[in-house]
Amino acid sequence: MLGDAEKKRYSRQIRLFGEEDQERLKRASVFIAGAGGLGSVISLYMAAAGFGKIRICDCDSVELSNLNRQILHANADVGRAKAKSAYETLTAINPEIEVEARIEIITQENIDQLLQGCDLIMDGMDNFPVRYLLNRAALERKIPLFHGAINGYQGQATTIIPGKTACLACIFPRAPPASVFPALGSTCGVIGSIQVTEAVKYVTGAGQLLENRLLLWDGLSSCLDEMAYGRNVACQECSNSGH
Amino acid sequence: MVLAFASFREILGKEREICLVEGATVRDLLEELAAARPAFNEAAFDDTGALRDYVLLMVNRKRIDPILDLSRPLQDGDELAIFPPLAGG
Repeated sequence: MLGDAEKKRYSRQIRLFGEEDQERLKRASVFIAGAGGLGSVISLYMAAAGFGKIRICDCDSVELSNLNRQILHANADVGRAKAKSAYETLTAINPEIEVEARIEIITQENIDQLLQGCDLIMDGMDNFPVRYLLNRAALERKIPLFHGAINGYQGQATTIIPGKTACLACIFPRAPPASVFPALGSTCGVIGSIQVTEAVKYVTGAGQLLENRLLLWDGLSSCLDEMAYGRNVACQECSNSGH
Repeated sequence: MVLAFASFREILGKEREICLVEGATVRDLLEELAAARPAFNEAAFDDTGALRDYVLLMVNRKRIDPILDLSRPLQDGDELAIFPPLAGG
């Protein structure tokens, strides 16, 4: 049940999808991988929208060079753990929700424990090896993975529903090399917002998800494109998890 | 017709039409682009001249394998989409 303060706080969303769906958001438990550029946008909008439980995980500390885009953190947070700074920002924005901060590197060994009790996985990572771990965990747990990635003015997003859509390894069988990529906060804003919209639609059942569709944002030409995808029958990840 | 995305678009432009000889393959088309634009050559091919294995290729919006399907012949009017996955967050 929503309290009076919650009904007021979420009144514009309740106009959009009703109290029952707002309660669904409240019951949702979300894992956000990363408190960087994408993780900032994802966690701020999810907290404000009233996703009831948010567990956010990042192993790094805030650096000055993060602040052009990582809007969870302020100048005074430089040197502090990103997860701690995220906890403070998110609980200040919405004290009605539960926020849990984890200062950990996501590994094969700890991912099960990190995802304990979570219904949705939000991808705010900056590398493919950890994304593949999130993908495998999503397949094993049969929970959705909302993928996003950026580079400069460019972004991509897709929604992975285990058992229904292509998995991340079907779409991207081989990882691009790690690099220090150029990053613009507003590109994180576009892609992170799309990921949160997908998560809201998944929980409320509204609209059409980015299922088997890779959305491509080109900020230079202000164009959105999409590529249609299907399951890759040779995909090791999908076949290993029995899908 | 070639549709380029992300950093490939910055090099090649959004769309371009290429005329090829009959029977030309996906590899022929990529090599033609690489010869015309050295920056594309560097972005899409490694030092040995092999296509970087993470590059996504689609012919007429259907995925093809960047290793196995390069010898696939193209037909008049085919559309090749090329896309390097983004990794940043």
